[in-house]
Amino acid sequence: MTSDHIHPEPTTFLKKHVFSVDHKVIAKQFLWFGLVWLGIGGIMAMMLRWQLANPGVPVPLFGKLLFPRTSGVIDPASYNTLFTMHGTIMIFLGLTPAMIGALGNWSIPLMIGARDMIFPTLNMLSFWTMVMGGAVGFYSLFVPLGATEAGWTGYPTLSTTVGAVGQGETLWAIAVFLIGASSIMGGINYITTVIRLRCPGMHWMRLPLTVWGLFLTSILNVLFIPVIGSAMIILVLDRVFGTTFYVPASIMSGGTGGDPILYQHLFWIFGHPEVYILILPAWGVVCDLLSFFARKPAFGYRASVGAMVAVTVLSAVVYGHHMFTTGLSAMLGESFMLLTMIISVPAEVLFFNWLHTLWKGNLRLTTPMLFAMSVIFVFGLGGLTGIYLATIGTDIFLHDTYFVVGHFHLTMAASALFGTFAAVYFWFPKMFGRMMSERLGKLHFWLSFVPLVIVFCIMFISGYAGMPRRYYDHTSTEYLRPLQHLNVATSVAAFLLGAAQLIFVYNFIKSRWWGEPAPQNPWEVGTLDWTTETPVPHYNFKTIPVVQCGPHEFSNPVLGPDTDWIYQTEKLPG
Amino acid sequence: MSMLKAILPSLAFLRSRWLGCPLALMLTSTWALAQDKRWGPGEAASDYGYRFHDLFWLITILVSVAFALVVLLLAIPVLRDRERPGHRASFDHGKSLHDKRLTAVISIVTFIILDAWVLVIAMQDLREAYWAIPDAEDPQTYRVEVLAQQWAWNFRAPGVDGEFGTADDIITINELVVPKDRPVSFNMTSKDVIHALFLPEMRMKRDVNPGSINKTWFRPITAGDFTILCAELCGFAHYQMSGKLRVLEQGLFNEWEAEASKLASTAFDADDTEAQWAWDWEE
Ligand code: HEM
Ligand SMILES: [Cu+2]
Ligand SMILES: [Cu+2]
Repeated sequence: MTSDHIHPEPTTFLKKHVFSVDHKVIAKQFLWFGLVWLGIGGIMAMMLRWQLANPGVPVPLFGKLLFPRTSGVIDPASYNTLFTMHGTIMIFLGLTPAMIGALGNWSIPLMIGARDMIFPTLNMLSFWTMVMGGAVGFYSLFVPLGATEAGWTGYPTLSTTVGAVGQGETLWAIAVFLIGASSIMGGINYITTVIRLRCPGMHWMRLPLTVWGLFLTSILNVLFIPVIGSAMIILVLDRVFGTTFYVPASIMSGGTGGDPILYQHLFWIFGHPEVYILILPAWGVVCDLLSFFARKPAFGYRASVGAMVAVTVLSAVVYGHHMFTTGLSAMLGESFMLLTMIISVPAEVLFFNWLHTLWKGNLRLTTPMLFAMSVIFVFGLGGLTGIYLATIGTDIFLHDTYFVVGHFHLTMAASALFGTFAAVYFWFPKMFGRMMSERLGKLHFWLSFVPLVIVFCIMFISGYAGMPRRYYDHTSTEYLRPLQHLNVATSVAAFLLGAAQLIFVYNFIKSRWWGEPAPQNPWEVGTLDWTTETPVPHYNFKTIPVVQCGPHEFSNPVLGPDTDWIYQTEKLPG
Repeated sequence: MSMLKAILPSLAFLRSRWLGCPLALMLTSTWALAQDKRWGPGEAASDYGYRFHDLFWLITILVSVAFALVVLLLAIPVLRDRERPGHRASFDHGKSLHDKRLTAVISIVTFIILDAWVLVIAMQDLREAYWAIPDAEDPQTYRVEVLAQQWAWNFRAPGVDGEFGTADDIITINELVVPKDRPVSFNMTSKDVIHALFLPEMRMKRDVNPGSINKTWFRPITAGDFTILCAELCGFAHYQMSGKLRVLEQGLFNEWEAEASKLASTAFDADDTEAQWAWDWEE
């Protein structure tokens, strides 16, 4: 199961840094790409929050530049474009590359003891396909008749020519398709790599849980991205070639007509697994980091793997909970409600294992550890509030209010984002050969964590108070006007949260070029990635390692009193 | 004084329109808004609304206890088990039979308390209320047809003759009048994109889809003026697609209905095919 197909290290700049097939370079490309898009999507979020707190007031600093025709005021159509692109960008161009692209590429080969991905060229193609998707998505903002404004969910008939005449919507669909294609390429590569290239001794139950998370995510990617791909192709057909898959006969002049609800099924068959696509790698990272920094074995390794597998399977059969108000029959509605609640069982197993891993540990509260622990907190909040939305009786009122916005930001956005931060802080020393500043890291953590929890918890109150989402201005309706103070408070916290990210940017850039040189294994953990030299040589391992023990043998009494860890390549004494 | 003079010029940026104005506006608007504020959805005005609240608070209590436990179990190790000289983590893979049993028991017990309990009550509510769309034939049921469009609500009530598609149908735009204490049953469709009829005080919401008829109902138990909102993104004026729901006591309602029906008959124009959008009710 070893990979011995060695090709020589490239020498030209273009081959080495741009069209590289080296998984480490591609990981860094994905990371930069994802971070830049997270920044763009974040600025969009700030603009949304600006408009919600100060409806109709010009955006400060760069408003005039972006909205010259309204002298800096966000108009309603632009507002819709902003939240549509914010959602699309954050999910597909921010977290997908940063979490799956960068983390996956970096850690899978290094953690399983491989010299590269099994399909290096496909790997490169995956990145450049995503770049194309990003370019098309960005270009869609500037086309005649308007950008996309049908929400990241793109429901027809609003997203067909009935509701959106602009070419932007077509380009949006094509961008999603391209990004999806990129994810499928990545997925195939990750799955095959994990199955085929594990080094001798690295059997399934010795894999770091990070790799498990990425592996399961890849399976979901390969199974469900094709569904959204088809949905997008059909949408483009409807928009460009005049088919009517999603357009009912009643609003067509002639023709047989289709059904807009078909799209909702297709979208959510993909859309629910997508939530887990983003969260599974974060869970994997959390499982590992909690153990690494509590200096304790990951509690219930097998149960955690089982729980993640169960979530992967169940995630395919719960999507109907997004459609309770669409008009699902009673039988379907109740079935989806039950299935959705069943998914909380594996989630409980994971929580139990995480908390048990910390219990009686020897906690090193480093920046990656703080972010990993905060995932328990924010995912706990997000997951528990999911019960309100899984229960049809309460979802009917809360659906499409800010309650949902708070819920999905905590589960998907915040958990995956904090998981990504944890991973970046953790692997940075290996990736770039330098240490990030711990002091700035901790500052970044606290100034992110506290405002973030405030932002999304206020949204629970607004949602419970009946504030609908995707509204340009809540002060234009009598019923909603008394809620405006909540909007203002949310925005103030959101601006703080946004500003805190500048600390990260500064820390990242400064440490990248001027940080202290990193030792080979600054965190004292035993997985294979930390057995390599820093910086990691072109072929990772001079000789393919042989694994002798699991990834979490911390504080094992057989190690003696002087050390509390051991490399996976070493044999446990005794 | 001199120091103030030295500082003031540096605050001049507050005067510039791009920062000063919005900042001041934000502060004053916060203050102004603090006068007239709301933290919840207000009193429920339908019987279903009370079911919503019972369920909502049940879940809130359960969830709060669960979350408090998580935070506690997170806080204890942070406070107690930090790294210090001479301290070592306990070595435990959680592989023993005891650990496996504990994991299983805790997960299942949490599921029963947190999910199954809620599930059972929710099912009961759904069967007794949400799914239990009243019989359209029953004269007690007040029937309304909804035709949504970008960006308005068209409502059609059968009028005194109790038949849809006749001259005395009461057609209203962005305003719906219904009797108190009687089930109000909706048949809804859309002319263009998907909308959602959202009656926040009634705790009621249902999508309004083009190409098919969606059904829902509620029973108002308080008379007064309430809100109609659109809850599904439907274009750039989505946020303005609101209307008024008026719930009248039965007596007042009968007077209103007779009046409105008569008015509708006199104003009826058979040639105006645009206005003839009624459909038959099927079960
Ligand atoms: C910096 C923190 C963030 C803030 C303050 C923020 C704020 C917002 C706001 C105000 C909306 C519009 C809600 C509405 O009107 O429906 C929104 C929508 C959304 N956000 Fe975020 N967001 C943040 C980060 C993220 C991240 C990291 C993700 C990644 C998954 C994300 C994903 C989404 C999605 C999917 C939507 C829905 C867009 C739609 O309705 O079509 N957000 N966010
Ligand atoms: Cu879902
Ligand atoms: Cu609407």
